[in-house]
Amino acid sequence: MKTLQKLGQIDSRVIYALLILALLIPLMRPLGLPISIGKHTQRTFGVLDTLQAGDKVIMDIGYSVSGAADVQPQTIAVLKHLFGKGVRIIFVGNQTEGPMVIESLVKPYEAAGKKYGVDFCNLGYLAGGENAIASYCRDLKKSYPVDFRKNQTSSLPILDGVNGAKDVKMFVFFTTQNSDMYVRQITQYKIPIVGGLINTISPQAEPYVNAGQLAGILVGLRGGAEYEMLMKAPGVGVASMDAQSMGHLLIIAFIIFANISYLATRRAGAKGDKGGAK
Amino acid sequence: MSADPVIWVSSILTIIGFSYLFKENELYRAVEHLYVGVAAGYTVVMGYTNVVNKVWGPLTKKGQYTVLIPAVLGFLLFMPYISKSLGWLRRLPVAVIVAIGAALSLRTAVVEQFIGQLRPAIIPLNSINNVIITLGTAVTLCYFIFTVKPNPVLKVGVEGGKWVIMVTLGAAFGAGIMGRISLLIGRLFLVFQDWIPLIKKV
Repeated sequence: MKTLQKLGQIDSRVIYALLILALLIPLMRPLGLPISIGKHTQRTFGVLDTLQAGDKVIMDIGYSVSGAADVQPQTIAVLKHLFGKGVRIIFVGNQTEGPMVIESLVKPYEAAGKKYGVDFCNLGYLAGGENAIASYCRDLKKSYPVDFRKNQTSSLPILDGVNGAKDVKMFVFFTTQNSDMYVRQITQYKIPIVGGLINTISPQAEPYVNAGQLAGILVGLRGGAEYEMLMKAPGVGVASMDAQSMGHLLIIAFIIFANISYLATRRAGAKGDKGGAK
Repeated sequence: MSADPVIWVSSILTIIGFSYLFKENELYRAVEHLYVGVAAGYTVVMGYTNVVNKVWGPLTKKGQYTVLIPAVLGFLLFMPYISKSLGWLRRLPVAVIVAIGAALSLRTAVVEQFIGQLRPAIIPLNSINNVIITLGTAVTLCYFIFTVKPNPVLKVGVEGGKWVIMVTLGAAFGAGIMGRISLLIGRLFLVFQDWIPLIKKV
């Protein structure tokens, strides 16, 4: 009984060390566990695949580097898909670090020949959160007179004929925040909205997918891995899945240990009480 | 090992950050302050760039004097730090921000979040998923009925609602753990792939 009780008293530092090992070993020696494709990723891939060469989309990068590990693999996979199809992307940043993240994302594509101002542009960060989304969706050039690279937005060929969200084919956002504000401000423009979300906020976005207000969502690192599988281009997401699975198994094991320990302690306590009464 | 000094600095800072798990220490506290300082500095630079691009540029190059309105309102936000007696002026821009924010989100919240969510909740009970969604919605709403004296039927609904809410919170918590693991994996990639090449590049 005492051994069972001790399961609940493992030093938290031991748990941290075991968790790091459980994640690190599969990263160093991949196990090749199978990855199934979820319905959300399948649906999102289908929606994004309808875009044709020359179509324009607004892509809002609403995450900072601190949350990038969960959402960036999705962004990289979607960018690969869209740039590969010749889709033109108008980037905006809903967080202060957004423009910096955008610059790092487009760097390889720019080196490979994608032209700034023609194939893509980085309009930068606009303060105001939901107000900013409402503002640039209504009037892009007025909200952004100058882009992140100090060009006058009126001089960018990619923005010819684009005044706001109603003039693009799709709105794509990647965020560590809630998707509510995107649904509230963009649904009125009757364009498909696709969201890349971190795991934590994805349950709150599911009702919007069921209602058709979001055309598709990608959920966390897993969503990125699934998208990479659909693209037949394994990347960081796929490489992380074994580690993620092992991490989850370890946490489940600890939850079971903790509950066994709790029950054993309670049982021992009850027996002790009984003894005292005698 | 990487020859990039940026990778060295970020990896060492990451390890110091994780040292908190072992024990709180001076180095960890220094890194914590550094993080806050860098983030604040970056935000100040972005704010300054915004003022230059969206106020100074249009004002001096295009003569758009209307940009002075948000600029002055923005300046008033700093009044408490300039003069204690004029600190109350900050309430003006705060009122404008709250009013615009509320106006923008309330209108669309009713259309998109209330009506937009109500419509798909009315579904035919022709599949097990639809039955679960309908029952789940009904019992969850029962849980939040506070104005009727509890009767046996309502009590069953309330109990069911409690279970549905617990399952939802469990799913959200599980998703949260998954997200945190992803962030940890991201750091491991930095330290053991970019810095010390123990993990193979894909």
